[in-house]
Amino acid sequence: MAPGDVDMKPAADAGKGKDKDDEKAEDKKKSEEKENPTAPPLTPAQEIKANVALIERGVSTLEPRFMHRVLRNLASIRKKLTDSALREALEEIYVKDSVDKETLLSWLPEAPALAEGEGAMEIDAGPPTAPQRKSPPPSDPLPESEVYLRLLLVHHLLSSPETVPKALQLAHETVEKIQAWNRRSMDPLAARNWFALGRAYELSGELENVRALLLTAQKTASLRRDDECQAVLINLLLRNYLHYNLYDQADKLVAKTTFPTSAGNPQLARYHYYLGRIKAVQLNYSDAHTNLQQAIRRAPAAKAAPGFFQAVHKFFVVVELLMGDIPERSLFRHPVLVNALAGYFEIVRSVRTGNLAHFQETLRAYQAQFTSDKTRTLIVRLRQNVIKTGVRRLSLSYSRISLRDICVKLHLDSEEDAEYIIGKAIRDGVIDGRIVHEKGWLECAGAKSGYGPDVAEAYQRRIGFCLQLHNESVKAMRYPLNAHRKETAAAEEAREHEKELAMEIQDGDLDDDDGLDGF
Amino acid sequence: MAPSQQLVKDYQSLIRAFESRPCNLKKCGELLTRLKVGLVTAGLLPVLPKSESSVEDLVVVRNILEIGAFWSIRSKDIPSFDRYFAQLQTLYNDYSTVLPPSPREHPLVGLNLIRLLTQNRIADFHTTLEAIRLSPEAAAENPYIAHPVAVERWLMEGSYSKVWSAREEAPAEEYRFFVDSLIGTIRNEIASCEEVAYDSLPLKDAATLLFFTNRNELLAFAQQRGWQINLIEETITFKKKDEEKIVVPTTKLISANLAYARELEQIV
Repeated sequence: MAPGDVDMKPAADAGKGKDKDDEKAEDKKKSEEKENPTAPPLTPAQEIKANVALIERGVSTLEPRFMHRVLRNLASIRKKLTDSALREALEEIYVKDSVDKETLLSWLPEAPALAEGEGAMEIDAGPPTAPQRKSPPPSDPLPESEVYLRLLLVHHLLSSPETVPKALQLAHETVEKIQAWNRRSMDPLAARNWFALGRAYELSGELENVRALLLTAQKTASLRRDDECQAVLINLLLRNYLHYNLYDQADKLVAKTTFPTSAGNPQLARYHYYLGRIKAVQLNYSDAHTNLQQAIRRAPAAKAAPGFFQAVHKFFVVVELLMGDIPERSLFRHPVLVNALAGYFEIVRSVRTGNLAHFQETLRAYQAQFTSDKTRTLIVRLRQNVIKTGVRRLSLSYSRISLRDICVKLHLDSEEDAEYIIGKAIRDGVIDGRIVHEKGWLECAGAKSGYGPDVAEAYQRRIGFCLQLHNESVKAMRYPLNAHRKETAAAEEAREHEKELAMEIQDGDLDDDDGLDGF
Repeated sequence: MAPSQQLVKDYQSLIRAFESRPCNLKKCGELLTRLKVGLVTAGLLPVLPKSESSVEDLVVVRNILEIGAFWSIRSKDIPSFDRYFAQLQTLYNDYSTVLPPSPREHPLVGLNLIRLLTQNRIADFHTTLEAIRLSPEAAAENPYIAHPVAVERWLMEGSYSKVWSAREEAPAEEYRFFVDSLIGTIRNEIASCEEVAYDSLPLKDAATLLFFTNRNELLAFAQQRGWQINLIEETITFKKKDEEKIVVPTTKLISANLAYARELEQIV
């Protein structure tokens, strides 16, 4: 999973924009007010400044929406971060020389001589223009803004391997600060910060040591009903456990916690992915399948987060095989998956044809890849599926076949084995038929008709999904404040109109009655 | 926190009692109880993750617990094995970097795997298997681990005769204690397969399929499962119970349809 892992992060961060129209309109207005539209492509520093302004506004108006918007473009901004951009942003946001500014700046490496000149120029140019553009901030930025800046710093430090230990230290410090401030408006930022902390630990290879810290944080978050932190922390813990193959602990964690339903898509996708893996190891394939499918549906587009997409699909393919289904061939032609799933494609081929020899060969050839993907143990279990598929194919094509022929066709060791295997297949519902022991053959029942309770069930599942989707999207709609007043006025009018109509109808009725009376 | 003199003496006599052939089960049990109390008072048990105890002390604790686990199996006390093994887990997992590896670790892990198999706890079996810190090649070569893994595979694909023939190839003496219950498990498995896969079966063949050498054993087993035995024709007939499956689940369909109607009403 080595290359995949690195890419997993964008998977979670690239939040899916759920912008409603009103929010977009707000966006435009906002950007016009706050930044003078001098240069259309903003420099990273300017972007950071704009985001800080948004955060301040969000906190002062108690509107979490702004904060979420800032966090949504975290992924894109992260890619653009440079030492000088961060320095510039820090210099401009903290106008006065404060302690906070110094501590934050100290995390950045000393700018080299050339860049120093540039930086100095920027600073020279900065102070005179800043007061003109907008009223100078009366005090230091809010704690939320500081946390945001720290978060950016952590992500920046994480981007190069040499600075990972520093990132770890900074993330720790930030977490402590967040806990000291203890502000609810900071929760979304805190969640991101936890994520960065977990990432820092993972990159420095000390995942084991962070567990206790995360567990206490999870406890606090759930007591405070801090959904976002909770979601992130549960996922971090699961990832932590699964990294060491501690499926038992992971399963207990899942059983003891409730994943917040309001969590964002990226976190939900990861949660489903981890759940799917746990369930698959526990042989609960149908649940694993549902979870992995959810993870795929919730995940961002394949191009945006290829690592996550590949990792989920690897498990998805294996679980589908374990369930006795054959994944669609088009899946393996997907540009993002074509290389990553090459080994899995071979496995699928051998399962589909029920070819045990080819299966063993593939398993040997791709051993290293499967081991690093952590799918090896699952794939080893497929051996019995290869046999089952073979049995099923035979039962479909023959109405009666001798046990010895089965033995030869499936490369089994003995007729005795074949009899037990067939018996088990019948009991597990893989095939429908009877063994006639005296004559030593298997009598296969005819194919079932395509209609029955199973079909109704499948139909029901699909309808259920559609209805749920519909209800969720209805719930997710947002309406601008007070916009309904106009409508109520209009409704009032309509009601008047209706009343009039009713009156007219009534009159009409009366007329009719009159007519009748007259008759 | 050094172990007291008494503890050290008990520990040494436990090792002696355990290693003598045949092993003195009763004496071991007494010593183990005493030692456990001693360890608790010395603050060495329960083993906490990342406690301050010295490496030597922990090794002693581990040895005692390992002997305890083996002892429980020899005296056929599975719940007790469970407890010892749970305590050992901390030492094996959380202290893997501190303690020297124990030669008894893999036999015990393997035993635990077999135990899970005999209790038909396949999901737990796989979770435990995943948690073993061994590379796949090393696991395949380790006889203690490879044996339960192979047994599980045979059980899953239905090659019961292989399980039967492998019962004598156990890598450690203690594995044999599980053979009986394992045979019980596979007999039940086979019986449930036969019930569905056959209409009727001659008594003689049924005995071979179920690995019974004795006719009376088979008859008792058949009675237990509620099979009809025809002594004149020497056959077993299995009850049919799946003919009425075609019934349409009316209530379920109605409730589903009502639910759709309600949802539709909300939408329109």
